[in-house]
Amino acid sequence: MSPREPDPSRPRLAAADPDGDQELDDLLVRVGRGDEAAFEAVYDRLAGPAYGIIRKVVRDPGQSEEVAQEVLLEVWRCAARFDPALGSAATWAMTIAHRRAIDRVRSAAAATQREQKAAAFRSPADDVAEAVEASLERERVRRCLGGLTEAQRESITLAYYGGHSYLEVATLLGTALGTIKTRIRDGLIRMRDCLGVS
Amino acid sequence: MKLLRHDLHTLTGVYALDALAPGAEHDRFIRHVRRCQACTAEVTGLREVATSLALAAAAEPPAAMRARVLAAVGRTRQLPPEMRSRPKPRPSGFRLSVAVAVAALVAVAVLAIAQVNTSRQLNQARRQSQAIAAVLSAPDARILAKPTTVGGVTTVVVSPARRELVISASGLPVPPGGQVYELWLIGPPRVRSAGLLPAATAGHIGPVLATGLVAGDELGVTVEPAGGTSQPTTTPIVVLPLP
Repeated sequence: MSPREPDPSRPRLAAADPDGDQELDDLLVRVGRGDEAAFEAVYDRLAGPAYGIIRKVVRDPGQSEEVAQEVLLEVWRCAARFDPALGSAATWAMTIAHRRAIDRVRSAAAATQREQKAAAFRSPADDVAEAVEASLERERVRRCLGGLTEAQRESITLAYYGGHSYLEVATLLGTALGTIKTRIRDGLIRMRDCLGVS
Repeated sequence: MKLLRHDLHTLTGVYALDALAPGAEHDRFIRHVRRCQACTAEVTGLREVATSLALAAAAEPPAAMRARVLAAVGRTRQLPPEMRSRPKPRPSGFRLSVAVAVAALVAVAVLAIAQVNTSRQLNQARRQSQAIAAVLSAPDARILAKPTTVGGVTTVVVSPARRELVISASGLPVPPGGQVYELWLIGPPRVRSAGLLPAATAGHIGPVLATGLVAGDELGVTVEPAGGTSQPTTTPIVVLPLP
């Protein structure tokens, strides 16, 4: 299997850094064979994005850190199941991270109020983590989000960054379910075209 | 039904954003996607968009997390790769082994009926046996077999369309200290118990029916305290990726 050629049949977006993308795939394949040094490199590439998206959804810094830790350990545990033919390493890992974040907010829904109170007393130093490096990816995404209609952008960000189900999005916006469904799909397709499929 | 299918197709977007909550609609969509190549391709593409949204939200993780994760890695065992068979023509010998394995499962099911004493047990065993037969005879039934880490082999017949599977095992050691073998459906969203394996009769366990499969589930077996647990507490002795 190794060294691998990029799979031309596999749909993927033109990454801000395509070589880095391929490199991450290769690293994750090595992690799947128990390579701890490769995992350190994967950690350094994925910890920021994983923590970032979890933080967006979960919000509470302490809980976000917990979930991020679980997710990164999951990346180690399940790396052998990553199949580069089915999608990029980044997509594989971000899917795990986003789903875990949603699991956390859904299962903790009952306990939320208590946690929000606790969070209010946490030191603002926790928010140092907000400091982020400006990335090319962020710029690209911002530009493409800007190309959507306001309604599409709102639905997509509520669903993905807010971690809401589309039923919840429809309720929040007072819009019919079917409308939200097509709005999200149309918006994502427009984003896909804007980000450019390689 | 045409309208319904169209509705299902437009769910690719919300699914790619993990905004399709677990439930009947989610399950219907997953079944639809399995048969719809265009949907699979679309979901894959839209997931890459979701990835870009995630990458754009990157934040500096707490510095202490790195050392904690790396330390945890040093003591965490990795899961084996999935033995997923790529779509390719099956050798004819495989078909034969399916027939043999199915025949063995049916024989055991019949034997189980022969061993009951009361009519209530008989009815229950019959129902169970009918449910098992339905899986075994499902047009999309696939057979999987894998040795366990403690010895013996598990054999599974799974019907993705019915979202059911039948598992049997032979040659497994009796778990020590009154412990039991517990079945798990290991899914991307969560791990669910699928019940306990009964004690072996003449070295053979099962067949046991497990229901409520979700796409992406894997079947795992662990050794657990008597009565079972709600979440696995030990490393699985076998994990079978399901089609």
